[in-house]
Amino acid sequence: MNNEGNKDMAHRQHVKYFMRFLNILPSSLSSHDTTRVTIAYFSVAGLDVLGSISAISLDLRSRIIEWLYRLQVHPDKETGDMSLCGFQGSSTINIRLDPDNNQFRCGHLAMTYTGLCILLALGDDLSRINRTALIQGVKALQTDEGNFSATLSGCESDMRFVYCAACISYILNDWSGFDIEKATDYVIKSIGYDYGIAQCPELESHGGTTFCALATLALTDQLDKLSEAQIDGLKRWLVYRQIDGFQGRPNKPVDTCYSFWVGASLKILNALQLTNYGSNRRYVYETQDMVVGGFSKWPDTCTDPMHTYLGLSGLSLIGENGLLEIEPRLNITKRAYDHLKCLHEQWVS
Amino acid sequence: MSDCGDSDVLWIPYKERPEWSDVTPVPEDDGPNPVVVIAHSEKFEDVYDYFRAVLQSNEKSERVLHLTKDALELNPANYTVWQYRRDLLKHLNTDLRTELDYVEAVIKNSPKNYQVWHHRRVLVEWLQDPTMELELTGDALLQDPKNYHAWQHRQWAIKTFGLYEKELDFVDNLITDDVRNNSAWNQRYFVVNNNLGWSDLICQQEVCYTLEKINFVKNNESAWNYLRGLLIHDKRGLSGNAVITSFCEELYKNKCRSPFLLAFIIDVCEDAIKKKDTNCFHNADRAVELCQALATRYDKIRSKYWNYLCERYKKYQSEQLSNDNKTNDLIIDE
Repeated sequence: MNNEGNKDMAHRQHVKYFMRFLNILPSSLSSHDTTRVTIAYFSVAGLDVLGSISAISLDLRSRIIEWLYRLQVHPDKETGDMSLCGFQGSSTINIRLDPDNNQFRCGHLAMTYTGLCILLALGDDLSRINRTALIQGVKALQTDEGNFSATLSGCESDMRFVYCAACISYILNDWSGFDIEKATDYVIKSIGYDYGIAQCPELESHGGTTFCALATLALTDQLDKLSEAQIDGLKRWLVYRQIDGFQGRPNKPVDTCYSFWVGASLKILNALQLTNYGSNRRYVYETQDMVVGGFSKWPDTCTDPMHTYLGLSGLSLIGENGLLEIEPRLNITKRAYDHLKCLHEQWVS
Repeated sequence: MSDCGDSDVLWIPYKERPEWSDVTPVPEDDGPNPVVVIAHSEKFEDVYDYFRAVLQSNEKSERVLHLTKDALELNPANYTVWQYRRDLLKHLNTDLRTELDYVEAVIKNSPKNYQVWHHRRVLVEWLQDPTMELELTGDALLQDPKNYHAWQHRQWAIKTFGLYEKELDFVDNLITDDVRNNSAWNQRYFVVNNNLGWSDLICQQEVCYTLEKINFVKNNESAWNYLRGLLIHDKRGLSGNAVITSFCEELYKNKCRSPFLLAFIIDVCEDAIKKKDTNCFHNADRAVELCQALATRYDKIRSKYWNYLCERYKKYQSEQLSNDNKTNDLIIDE
């Protein structure tokens, strides 16, 4: 993979940027303490889309993998209960706990999803994943409405976690923990009067949640449950998000990350080619920091791993030179996705 | 909120507090070779070492309640601490109203934090008392009229406890402040849908309201989306509401070329075509003409989209043409 012909991309700086985040973060980012796995995901996936997964030495690769597997929550030693299984976001509370307090050591759907993505990008064979346990952990989090909570111990439930649950089920090739009919019903109920899709029924349509919903339908093979009017309406709502870059809601400012959320949504509907690639690209590059590396939501704002990764993915979706192709539903490179497909074949045989 | 203070002079680490000398702090076990390491401040490590200790010993006391406050000030996104705090509140039978005050203060500091709003929701559920939620979310929306969390909490409180009474007024004020506030328009739909219903009278009142707002700012996606949305409930549909269609033609005649107006007229054409009820204003030819106008002049960023849509109407045009030919053949045959 080379970057010839892409003078705009501060490729080297972005690689260094992600490598820094994989190493150490300043104390000002303390509020990310419980979501370190997602930062690792943005960094690893970011290096992957840059075609620079090899910047991660074999040593660092095994360090990341070992660190991740330490965050896998296993079935209860005494009862065999699997409802808490999944990945944690960090080791903040990983201490020996009494059975009374065990419920705090639980998986978090977003960490399980991003943890699996990191392993795939690093070429891990997932053999140390307790697939049954993770799926039972997913199952324990679905509500009657079809929605999903993030964790078993005290968290909000919304479309983001429906998406994470769908990704986990897809990756592990096991839908026994995910009631597809109920989830589809929840998605359809969350379509707004403007045909965008919200976090929960009746809330405001939003680019991020529209992605979560559409990707869920795509992964569960339920896109055909959308009516023609709904698909037409969705396409219209999504293409209207383009100002130069993309916004997340009508009459809100554009933000680099929506080049992915809205871009991938349109890709799933086979309509991304109806947008203006040049304007989109120009905006994303305005948010690039050539010195520090990374991308930010707006020009002249601080960069962060999320906007950096999503800026790159968003550019990849429109065929940017020097970037690997992205699988839009799971939000990993096709390279990592192909590795997953190999694993699926191995598991079946 | 300020008892652990901005001033480090007042801050005494837990490990130096005599009243905590019975507790052995538990350091984080991040394994031998951690990655994505956050270089926490000494204060952060101290507080969390003690939180881990009490979590391990399952201590449920007032002093731990204070400890969780410190832990949450350092990281308000730690959902485990919030959950443990909720367990403490129950165990200690704490006055939940003081807790509501506390959460309110944290919300003011971190209005886009998921855990804080979730905590508030749980408290309101426990108390079954929503009397402060409209004011709380109203204040948050004063700071940021589009704060998704605030709107979510507000909708939940209204729906759960039936607090619709003054909501249309609230929405109207926000729309008056900023006619482009999409969140407010969404809330308007929520109130009408759940509380007023879509009777013919309400539909027409909402049509009038929306057209007035469109007249005020013609290029406002939120208002046009609302118009289209409410017409789902009008049995006349998009093309059958004469008040709307004449309003649109009037705008068009007065040289308004807002892309939303043109798109709306296209949608009216589509509706008319589907109902086989076209007229001189609403037909495939007009739709083609408008798509081309949008693609070439009035909404160029979406030119590929408008060209794509145009194909559909060109198809209707050729279908119409072949139908006309068939009819002509029939006439000639007779």
